[in-house]
Amino acid sequence: MSKKAKSATKTETIDGLKTAAEGAQLPSVSRIEEHSLLPLTPDANKQTPAVGQRTTRYDARPHLTGQTMYIDDMTFPNMLHMKILRSQHAHAKILSIDVSEAEKMPGVVATLTGREIPVNSYGPSYQDQPVIADDRVRHHGDPVAAVAAETEQLAKDALEKIKVEYEPIPAVFDPLEAMEEGSPKLHGETNVYASKVIKKGDAEQAFKDADLVLEKRFSTQMVEHVPMEPHASIAMWEADGNLKVYSSLGRITLGRADMARTLNMPMSRIRIIATIVGGNFGGKNEITSEPILALLSRKAGRPVKGVYTREDEFMSSTTRHPFIMDYKTGVTKDGRILGRTVRIVCDGGAYCSWSETTLGKGAILSVGPYNIDNIHVEAHAVYTNKTMTGAMRGFGAPQVCFAYESHMDDIAHELGLDPLEFRMMNAFGEESPSPTGQVLESVVVRESLETASERFGWKEWQK
Amino acid sequence: MKQRGRGIACMWYPIGFTVLANPSAAVVKVNEDGTATVLTGTVETGQGSLTVLGQIAAQELGIATDDIKMVSADTDTTPMDTGAIASRTTYVTGNAILLAATNAKEILFEVAAPLLGVRPDQLEAMDRKIQVKGFPQKYLPIGEVAHQAQFVKGRPALGSASYNPPTVAMDPETGQGKPFSTYVYATQVAEVEVDDETGEVEVLRIVAAHDCGTPINPTLVEGQVEGGISMGVGLALQEEILFDDDGKQINPNLTNYIMPTSLDMPDVEVEIVKNFDPTGPFGAKGVGEPTSVPTAACIMNAIYDAVGVRVTDLPATAEKVLKLIKEKKAAEQKQISA
Repeated sequence: MSKKAKSATKTETIDGLKTAAEGAQLPSVSRIEEHSLLPLTPDANKQTPAVGQRTTRYDARPHLTGQTMYIDDMTFPNMLHMKILRSQHAHAKILSIDVSEAEKMPGVVATLTGREIPVNSYGPSYQDQPVIADDRVRHHGDPVAAVAAETEQLAKDALEKIKVEYEPIPAVFDPLEAMEEGSPKLHGETNVYASKVIKKGDAEQAFKDADLVLEKRFSTQMVEHVPMEPHASIAMWEADGNLKVYSSLGRITLGRADMARTLNMPMSRIRIIATIVGGNFGGKNEITSEPILALLSRKAGRPVKGVYTREDEFMSSTTRHPFIMDYKTGVTKDGRILGRTVRIVCDGGAYCSWSETTLGKGAILSVGPYNIDNIHVEAHAVYTNKTMTGAMRGFGAPQVCFAYESHMDDIAHELGLDPLEFRMMNAFGEESPSPTGQVLESVVVRESLETASERFGWKEWQK
Repeated sequence: MKQRGRGIACMWYPIGFTVLANPSAAVVKVNEDGTATVLTGTVETGQGSLTVLGQIAAQELGIATDDIKMVSADTDTTPMDTGAIASRTTYVTGNAILLAATNAKEILFEVAAPLLGVRPDQLEAMDRKIQVKGFPQKYLPIGEVAHQAQFVKGRPALGSASYNPPTVAMDPETGQGKPFSTYVYATQVAEVEVDDETGEVEVLRIVAAHDCGTPINPTLVEGQVEGGISMGVGLALQEEILFDDDGKQINPNLTNYIMPTSLDMPDVEVEIVKNFDPTGPFGAKGVGEPTSVPTAACIMNAIYDAVGVRVTDLPATAEKVLKLIKEKKAAEQKQISA
């Protein structure tokens, strides 16, 4: 009984307004009655319930005051700096690499080539990408050698002393040409490395039944994530022989698995610590130079830091896939969509990275959020001798949305329908079947169309 | 002359990986003063995800956002997480943290129940208290219960859990299956001004209505939408990596690769569409990627509305739009003369 009475008194102190003197009291575990919880105030961060509150981010203050530690702000005793030499060709055999002149330069502590990497391949779907190209380069961004030196400038200067002998081989840059039989091949027998099909009903019959059939090709460009913080990591070996890596990676679990694979060592001996990342947008989902830093650090016996230049970021990190998309849609006069076919060719660049998954997501979403009974989607990812494409915010969706929504407007105009009405008429509702046959739940396409158009003033709008 | 136009685009977007397992695990430790520490393997990439995850843990424990300390992204000390990808953090990592917090809370309830003279299932955590459902006058401060749990009962209130979104594999021939647990939906409407003498497009305004299930933190949802739209504007009008005939990039720098700056940004008006997904933490789904999905599409439809030309190849640079306007005029003249 006394216990309960005591706690009731205490809660008043917590919930109610504290005097200045009470507020200044230090928390104490031994005197739990006056523990460290602050009084509930109008500050959203101190309010319950927490969900739905416009709380201030935990990292707002350090961000605003410039105190957030990014990799580039971090330094360790005796730390070296790493720079990467990249390919001079889009497609070539590497005949020889000579690092001896670079190694003789004062301030250069270690160099690394692809042959020194225990398992020189990685990738989330297929392990088709070398950490450092050893026998062949497949695009201009491929690394061919790396240097660790006392300063960034010395490392950069040393790259100029590395001699690489290449034998250029024919390259292919256009994904449609790359699909042809006689085109130069990047890996194996064919450049088509992933295909997806989604089939429902009979699209060809739907076109026969339609009052109007419209066809159009759409295409998109390659873009970069351009995070404010480029890819950056620091690798060091601890006295007990374990590897520690500070990294801007967005996926440390996968990063550690890739490190264990490429370095051929147990996961338990690798520790990856991610910092607050200065922008990811999908571009930091896989390792880049982390194994290089680890091996240079082992050779040098010192921590090694690597921060990509903006040019490294553009040339060698992943980018957004260019898509070529052929749309064909059959509709009735009153605006019901009967059937749609979509053919997607995705320019995958020199390595798979996340193309296989981007292709799958793009294919599923390509029909749009509309009830269409007859669907045929066919999508292919293709190697070209260009910067590799990979995960980027939207994973194929911005490309296909540009196409299906442009196509929807074209159809609405042909039928003399208001684009909003045409969408409302065909949009998914609760329990609509998706193109893959999934029964959709918590669907609010129409609600979002209504909300956006009302706020915009769609009906009243005049040019 | 400058011509105005409006364009609309809607979209759907899934949460989590396509079919493949993409689990998250989490540990929630209630400290003996009633605050809590959350261990998660996900990485804060600038979007505010750790704050949202903290709010989820706080909600379940009945405490406030600032009562949570987030510890993240260390392969030695934090449990595995598939990471900040596929717009999955709020939904998948959020569910893992919610489940872990529930487990920790169960210990608090078991400790508090005899002290309050009720069964554990009669208790709820609210306003930093463990209280009797339907009789909130009867309660104990959460700090006191946590302290009792640790130092009197010897059962520290600690919970761990994992979550993986349920999917069904797709048929390789037809693609039929349930590749994702849930999806979000959105519409964006753009108003543009197109100079029909230069082809230059200015985006004046974008209204964005996004579904994210329950907005755990509306401010951070709005921030994601604004950021996503800036990427969408870049994709629509400006950004493009260009290559020479030898396959070498000719603009790998921010001097020649043109991105939207704050001066290129339209007025953005964000609406959060009311929704609740029972499979998400407190009804939440996600919002990260979808925000940049319909932007280019609605801008292209607005260009069509303004000057009657259909851009089929992104980006819609001034040169490209002007070329289409000229082609359209030439075709119209040909029609008249014929």
